[in-house]
Amino acid sequence: MKLYTLAIALAGWLALPMQAAETDQLKSDLLGQCMGGRERCWKFQSSDQIKELVIKNKIEDAQKRVYTIALKLQAANTPGKYAAEARVEYSRTKTGWHIKQVGLLSLKKID
Amino acid sequence: MNAKRVVGALLLALLLWGCKTPKQPALGEPLADLTPDQRADFLAGKEVFERVFDPKNGLGPLFNANSCAECHEDPVLGGVGDEVEVHATRFIPPSSCDPLFQEGGPVIQQNATPLLRALGIEKEQIPPSATSQASRSTPPLFGFGLLDAIPETTLLSHEDPHDVNGDGIFGRANRTIDGRVGRFGRKAAVATLSEFNAGAFPQEMGVTTPLSPVEETINDKPVPPETDPAPDPEISLDDVEKVTLFTRFLAPPPQQVFTNYDEKRLAARGKKLFGALKCAVCHVPTMKTSSSHIKSLDRKNVALYSDLLLHAMGAQLADICLGQAHPADFRTEMLMGLRFREKFLHDGSAKSVQEAIERHDGEARRSSEKFKALNDRDRKALLKFLETI
Repeated sequence: MKLYTLAIALAGWLALPMQAAETDQLKSDLLGQCMGGRERCWKFQSSDQIKELVIKNKIEDAQKRVYTIALKLQAANTPGKYAAEARVEYSRTKTGWHIKQVGLLSLKKID
Repeated sequence: MNAKRVVGALLLALLLWGCKTPKQPALGEPLADLTPDQRADFLAGKEVFERVFDPKNGLGPLFNANSCAECHEDPVLGGVGDEVEVHATRFIPPSSCDPLFQEGGPVIQQNATPLLRALGIEKEQIPPSATSQASRSTPPLFGFGLLDAIPETTLLSHEDPHDVNGDGIFGRANRTIDGRVGRFGRKAAVATLSEFNAGAFPQEMGVTTPLSPVEETINDKPVPPETDPAPDPEISLDDVEKVTLFTRFLAPPPQQVFTNYDEKRLAARGKKLFGALKCAVCHVPTMKTSSSHIKSLDRKNVALYSDLLLHAMGAQLADICLGQAHPADFRTEMLMGLRFREKFLHDGSAKSVQEAIERHDGEARRSSEKFKALNDRDRKALLKFLETI
């Protein structure tokens, strides 16, 4: 039993850097992307604007990868902090996975 | 001798031909100098713009109109409509603004599809946490591609938020929630034409897009699934972009050139008064677009008659906050094509241009008072000038 618990803890410990790398990759890929429209719109202009990014779900097949993410967003030159959920879709090309589009699922001013 | 006269006449004709003003596209036509491919894009976008949505192909369940054309149809496609929208937000003094996205703001949809009505919901309600609501007439879209192409630096060059020059005018740019300079919308809270159009589908028609792939809530409650039969997204990104190309290539309204001497003279007098009354400080006559690979948008002078900045317009006109715009702040209305409109001000409540000018307050109060003090002839002159732009 102890060995089993230790194995799970070790797997979790090893997975942490992988997830952090995935989160960093998402942050990087989001730069330049727009989601939503009109006043309910966010264009990711710098990684500084992403105060928090949590992967809530990930679905993948041979050609498509879809993340559902939760975000905390704040721009440097305008007041207000926002909580958002987004759907990030990647498609597979010859050179690898490339971000295709970002859909805004929800947006709320939190501060 | 005769030969010399003929040659002289030909040379004169050639000179006049070379100097003639290029023909302006008529209202609703595309910009001049588009390539055949760009004209095809304009026409393809026009088709999507005219597409009528119903619940089976995405309309609702909450919506304001069933097509872009429903609100932008007078006097031609791309113009205005008789619809008046309801917007609501929450203003927390001194300067915090909550657009109430989660609770249905800022656009409060006024129609519901039959499936939603069957559940007793006929429209969206003003969120209880809203501090104010606003009425909004639909804006004409002519020349929006040129407006989109004006560099941000040009807008910022007109700012004077601390009234350094002491003229009583405090123009400042609005910012989007992500910090970019806004220019579209009555409070300049939208940065680009593509975002202005992309947001119209979910907010005005209840049509989901890949950028907004789920229905907005009904006052913070999710849409009952049985009222939303069409699979999301209900329109492709390709179709949304087509509409953006239609509006990008829609020509600005043609300016009116009077041929009658008296009208011409009166309008010229009015133009001088427009400057003398300081109207032109906010209603900046022209701005220039940046360089573009699209010839029709490349370094063009746009006679928009706006600085695209926010100005405090007084307590009587004040309604909602939006972005960094306080309730009394409005973006200077563009005056191009004014003669094609029948209702004026942001809510369409002014029945004439004169009434709209007379209701200017706040930063525009001095100009408005000067207008009211004009004699009849000068007042007519100013209004005649406004008929030319």
